[in-house]
Amino acid sequence: MFRSQQKTRLALALCISAAVAACAAPPPAAAPASQPAAPAPTKPFVISAIPDQDPEKLNRLYGKLAEYLKAELGVEVVYKPVTDYTAVVNAFKTGDVDMAWFGGLTGVQARLQVDGAQAIIQRDIDEKFRSVFIANVATGIQPFEDISGLMGLKGRTFTFGSESSTSGRLMPQFFMRQAGLSLSDLKGEPGFSGSHDKTIKLVEAGSYDAGALNAQVWEARVKSGEVDTSKVIVIWRTPPYYDYHWIVRPDVEQNFGAGFIGRVKQAFLALDQANPTHKEILDLFGAQKFIETKNENYVDIEAIGREIGKIK
Amino acid sequence: MTDPIFELHKVTVRYGSFTALSEVSLQVKAGERVALIGPSGAGKSTLLSLLNGSLAPSEGQVRLLGEDPTRLSVRALRRIQRQIGTVYQQFHLVPNLSVIHNVNAGHLGRWSLARAMLSLIVPLERQSAARALADVGIADKLYARTDTLSGGQQQRVAIARVLVQDPVVILADEPISSVDPERSREIMTLLRELCDRFNKTLVVSLHAIEYAYSHCERMIGLRAGHVMFDLPAGQVTPGMVEALYRIRKAEA
Amino acid sequence: MSASSATRHRPALPLSLRSFFNGARLVVLVTLLAIAWATTQVGLLRGNLINGGGWALVQQFFAAALRPELSADFLRLTLESTLVTFAYAICGLALSLVIGLAGGLLSSEVWWLSHRRTSGSKLGAPWLAVRGGLAVPRAIHEVIWGLFLVKILGLDPLVAILALGIPFGAITAKVFSEILDETPRDALRGLLNGGVPAGQALLYGLLPRAFPNLLSYSFYRLECAIRSATVLGVIGAGGLGYQVLLSLQSLRYGEMWTLIAALIALSGATDWLSARVRQVLGAPTRLEVNLAPGCDAQAAALARATPSSRTLLGLLVVGAALVPLSLLYIRPDFGRLFSPRTQMLFGQMVREMFPPDLSAENMASLLQLSLQTLAMSIFAIAVAGAFGIVLAQPAARRAMGARWPYWLARGSLLFLRAIPAPVWALLFLFVMFPGPLPGALAIAVHNLGILGRLIAEAVENVDQRPMRVLRHGGTPPAHAFLYSTLPMTIPQSLAYIFYRWEVCARETVIVGFVGAGGLGRLLTEQLSSFDYPGLLSTLIALFVLTFVVDVLSAAARRPIR
Repeated sequence: MFRSQQKTRLALALCISAAVAACAAPPPAAAPASQPAAPAPTKPFVISAIPDQDPEKLNRLYGKLAEYLKAELGVEVVYKPVTDYTAVVNAFKTGDVDMAWFGGLTGVQARLQVDGAQAIIQRDIDEKFRSVFIANVATGIQPFEDISGLMGLKGRTFTFGSESSTSGRLMPQFFMRQAGLSLSDLKGEPGFSGSHDKTIKLVEAGSYDAGALNAQVWEARVKSGEVDTSKVIVIWRTPPYYDYHWIVRPDVEQNFGAGFIGRVKQAFLALDQANPTHKEILDLFGAQKFIETKNENYVDIEAIGREIGKIK
Repeated sequence: MTDPIFELHKVTVRYGSFTALSEVSLQVKAGERVALIGPSGAGKSTLLSLLNGSLAPSEGQVRLLGEDPTRLSVRALRRIQRQIGTVYQQFHLVPNLSVIHNVNAGHLGRWSLARAMLSLIVPLERQSAARALADVGIADKLYARTDTLSGGQQQRVAIARVLVQDPVVILADEPISSVDPERSREIMTLLRELCDRFNKTLVVSLHAIEYAYSHCERMIGLRAGHVMFDLPAGQVTPGMVEALYRIRKAEA
Repeated sequence: MSASSATRHRPALPLSLRSFFNGARLVVLVTLLAIAWATTQVGLLRGNLINGGGWALVQQFFAAALRPELSADFLRLTLESTLVTFAYAICGLALSLVIGLAGGLLSSEVWWLSHRRTSGSKLGAPWLAVRGGLAVPRAIHEVIWGLFLVKILGLDPLVAILALGIPFGAITAKVFSEILDETPRDALRGLLNGGVPAGQALLYGLLPRAFPNLLSYSFYRLECAIRSATVLGVIGAGGLGYQVLLSLQSLRYGEMWTLIAALIALSGATDWLSARVRQVLGAPTRLEVNLAPGCDAQAAALARATPSSRTLLGLLVVGAALVPLSLLYIRPDFGRLFSPRTQMLFGQMVREMFPPDLSAENMASLLQLSLQTLAMSIFAIAVAGAFGIVLAQPAARRAMGARWPYWLARGSLLFLRAIPAPVWALLFLFVMFPGPLPGALAIAVHNLGILGRLIAEAVENVDQRPMRVLRHGGTPPAHAFLYSTLPMTIPQSLAYIFYRWEVCARETVIVGFVGAGGLGRLLTEQLSSFDYPGLLSTLIALFVLTFVVDVLSAAARRPIR
């Protein structure tokens, strides 16, 4: 009896010392956890993106892009997936991510957090980006041309995408406000589906009468046949605005050499529909080509963000 | 040792408005065997608490081994307390430790914290613990779990712990109240023998007057916080004992 | 017992209004009023609750249970996610036990008293300081810790470990200090009187005696850690919670069911292990809230127990080995704790937070949302408690009767508690409009799973003799139950319910993150708007709310005891 008693205590001591050791353990070689085990000669160039679509689609898209950039830039490129919009802004701010694909609003938020961060590149479609309002056919809501048609959503259930989405929340809410429709005119509280794909699915299933999302995602899903257009239709397209863009941290030139930002820009601008590998990436992005952009393009978005209270 | 072991001068102890001891003066010399007798609530336990330094008097002076405990630092007080071993009615052992750890607890005043921890994993000083247990007559129980022992055996473990502590004086607070009559005789005889053999002073509080007569040489009668008599055992008459208990009843 | 407590509190005077509203009765009255208020607050009586359009999705969801995703790739992903969640739980738990042991000792009365010269003196400022210091991390939910730490430490498994370890450590410290203070002190006193220094005296006189209780509580914390690690996954730490959320976001229900099965297996295995260990240790209940020390069931179980078994030793060695293994698996970067970047970000955040937003407008909205959060927690615990008491009866192990109701009830409770509250909230949001009600229901359902099992244990441990006497006298089983088991278990059940209410109040915040109302909803908006002054004021409101709930819960439990 004594023996096991004694061992019990020994085990307790082991437990405690193991736990103490765990806390005092020297830091392992500094390497981000999600990085594959293969040792990289230098710190990798980490990219991320706001999770606005199906995570699976995002993994495919950014996996391909990371490969392409690795070949073009000659450094290890790692894609770090994150769960929500705010998390990307955080990771960008803390420096866990060197360059990220932001929406209009998150891009402004990120630049406000990191002095000297630059908007560098966006798709051709992003300088004239639009949102679409969609509705379930069974509701009988008809498509309309003028913004005032949004008043027809009065008394209907409605869902946005993510809280911090530009095309799925900020701009739709802005246009609803312009039309004179207040959120309290809707039936129940508005939903926040979390992503554009989920907005389509919820409206298609009838969970919500109507919703708003990114026009490009909508068109891509219609094209690939993932949307049942006998159940859900577009009722209105918004006027254009600046949206998605790549933002890069100011300190990347220290880490990867002078002129690195320029090389990143060149890599994007070199993407060409004629090249099959390039075409695959461009198609996944839903773009014909990438173009340059600059911080000043987002002055309007910032103003709307402040108006709606998403930027303090 | 010419100085008295314990010296109390006009000591009063109050708990709130209740006076547990009032103006008690006494001395205990080295090698004495003293019995404290008296009814419940007479102040026996309070007196023993004064003697082991765990209680400070409200008034009067206490000297333990020549030192005034109220003037000592915590560390110095501990050094004095290590010279005073106490055996309790309820044994005050840790039931789910094995006997050897409870006996080794007598070493703790001399052990560092690290050594104490180590010993819980690999018991140290097995020989001295085994010897102490042999002295109290339960040598075979070294590795038994303490709560599997009978009451009498547990009291022997408590005595073994005091032997290991090796104090100058042993205080025993009703050491036989929780064991049966047969065990009581054995425990009292054991205490007397050990004190003789290792030259310890003994102060024991008792309800069973016959052991006070048979095992001690001096008796102090307490009643309601006052010392009623303090005499060699041979001079205490049955009438005095009866008075000690009877008067109390009349008052109640 | 409830009857006797009522009589005990009634003074000998004739019935006056004052005596009528004394003790237990006052608690009952206030509780009923609070439930009624909460029901109106969460909007149960308002229209526009059910979004009828969502039933199709719910049907799809349940239909998918029959065809879970079983491809080799997905099963591998499920296994990896399960291991990640488990590893987070183990590392977080290890950290919380270290904090808990140190904090528990320092905030226990017995620690400070044993450093005194003599017994009976009062406790001083250091004791109060430690107690107070531990109250703050405890009031803040793991998830909020996670969201804050990620802003300072960046994306690293370290965030999950700390987010679990810090609040759990503070909770464990509180319970450990209570266990230490309730452990008999005679042996300790004896050693101290013999001149033994306090450290050694505690090591020999107190800790071994408290050890079975400390260990048993630690294993209970393991169950909690698994659940919290899952929830942390939902906010992005990875593991099972993360995968469940991803599958739900992409509406891939087949995958969700595979993951749910893994969650149930993990949760069930931990619960079973923890129950087994407690049995060996002789601590029959998971949580000793309000158990009078030395109560019969406890004493009897302790007497039966044989804590020195080889099985236990094996478990402990495995447990100790799991910590380094888990660390190897998730590879946290401890260097981040002290990196200049961390200091810079921390400093920046603190600067941006102050001063908190105390504008009248903000305070008004905080008050309103705090009341809503309070109402959500009351509604949730009322639902969870009522159904918990009902479900606990078949879920209690009995010698007689059919086995299937037992397994059915146990299984349902496990299912309910294995799915994290935010995921429940997302499921409710299929068919309900965003707002406090779906959030409150999510909390209710998840806590029903936990409470039901706690109450079932109370039922198992109740003295069977009064029941048997009635049955032998020819009383039908249902009547006998009403007149023996039920009244005997009600005080313990109510104590659990009030205790669990404190937890509910904290958890109400996390369903807010998925859009289900209350202060959590505001917190999400503030986090995504980087509104730090607003965040700080919301956190203060949360702290005050938690404190108020703790005080009310403690006050309500007192007369029940």
